[in-house]
Amino acid sequence: MNEVSNPIEIDRDPGVPTGRRLAVVSSRETQQTPSPDTLVEMMMQIAQGRDRQAFALLFRYFGPRLKTFFLRWRLPSGAAEDLVQETMLNVWRKASYFDPERAGVATWIFAIARNIRIDYMRRQRDPSTLPPDPENRPDTVEDGLLGAERDARVRQALSALSPEQQTIVRLSYFSEKSQTEIADELGIPLGTVKSRTRLAMNRLRALLEDKP
Amino acid sequence: MTNRNHATDDTLMRFAAGTLAAGPAIVVEAHLASCPVCRARVGEYEALGGSLLEEMEPTPLSATVLSDMLAMLDNEEATGATVPPPLAPVEIEGIRLPDALRGCDIGSWRWIGPGMKMSRVGVPQDPDANLILLKVGPGRALPDHGHVGTEFTYIVSGSFSDKFGTFRPGDLAEMDDDVEHQPVVDKDGECICLAAMEGKMRFKNVIGRMLQPIFGI
Repeated sequence: MNEVSNPIEIDRDPGVPTGRRLAVVSSRETQQTPSPDTLVEMMMQIAQGRDRQAFALLFRYFGPRLKTFFLRWRLPSGAAEDLVQETMLNVWRKASYFDPERAGVATWIFAIARNIRIDYMRRQRDPSTLPPDPENRPDTVEDGLLGAERDARVRQALSALSPEQQTIVRLSYFSEKSQTEIADELGIPLGTVKSRTRLAMNRLRALLEDKP
Repeated sequence: MTNRNHATDDTLMRFAAGTLAAGPAIVVEAHLASCPVCRARVGEYEALGGSLLEEMEPTPLSATVLSDMLAMLDNEEATGATVPPPLAPVEIEGIRLPDALRGCDIGSWRWIGPGMKMSRVGVPQDPDANLILLKVGPGRALPDHGHVGTEFTYIVSGSFSDKFGTFRPGDLAEMDDDVEHQPVVDKDGECICLAAMEGKMRFKNVIGRMLQPIFGI
């Protein structure tokens, strides 16, 4: 891949030439969270080798998490599973577009799941809406940083927020309500919602830019 | 970065999360095409979404989901992937519009006042989306209106200024209802912008209010 030391390479048993495969299999057996590099390896095997075993492993890790993600939107269990399938099928179809320099695997799959959820909810609201065409949706993931590096930084920043600020962030991800609607619903002034949001955003921004 | 000519972090986060309404999302997407700073931030907020996805408690799936999928992959292989055809540029009367408007139903210009024309933009994936194109002549004030929710304006061509500064092509103006401003198009040419407002019912009121002094209704 590149000169950056790769944990998978370190894991490799010198007696076994297919060290990468070995690392992938062990992550399943121990049910541990696969490392970001392991996930990238799986994606590469899917993209280049159309590797079904790697796809099944990726599915075992992300499938149940994607289901929770869709359930957060209060979808019935059956619909959530359909969307998990739709998301993972897109992962398979679009695997060759995955670029580890631009995004980590979780980030890339999140963007696919996000588009699929939007399309699903629009179809629910208006059944006459055209079928989803996520292929035409722009991939917005872009940054100078390596995908995995950015993922780690972002994860750290999120955990450094106060519980209230984390709640505000999660609200952005799991609710389509505007600030006006949130204020109405909570019965608090719009200005309060705005100032709390602004504080949370500024704090997150400072953390992301390493200026805590 | 000052947020003045960019999207706010809250907006970029909701864009990345997919929770911004369809109209504002199109306006933000138009801005992203010309703004690497905001694009990088959207990348960060997508990474945040990736983190949130990974920290989800796993919910068991039905036993057949994986086997069903693998069977579907067999059919995929047989049909093969299709390459999408190249897309035509988006225009209104010869004027190039942001690619973010691709697939939208762009009406023709309608006179709404002296030196002022409007085109209602239909968003197929969200019929309630509140999106308009505005063309305002040099030296003219943009329609004077209050807004209830946040208003998102992307400058396609020309420029306008208010007491805080100037907005140029590619800029995004995010105006809260509490902002008192009277933007005026700069004298060197007409200004075309793409504007969206949050909320469904509110837009009708705002548009109503916007057209009220013009039509005397």
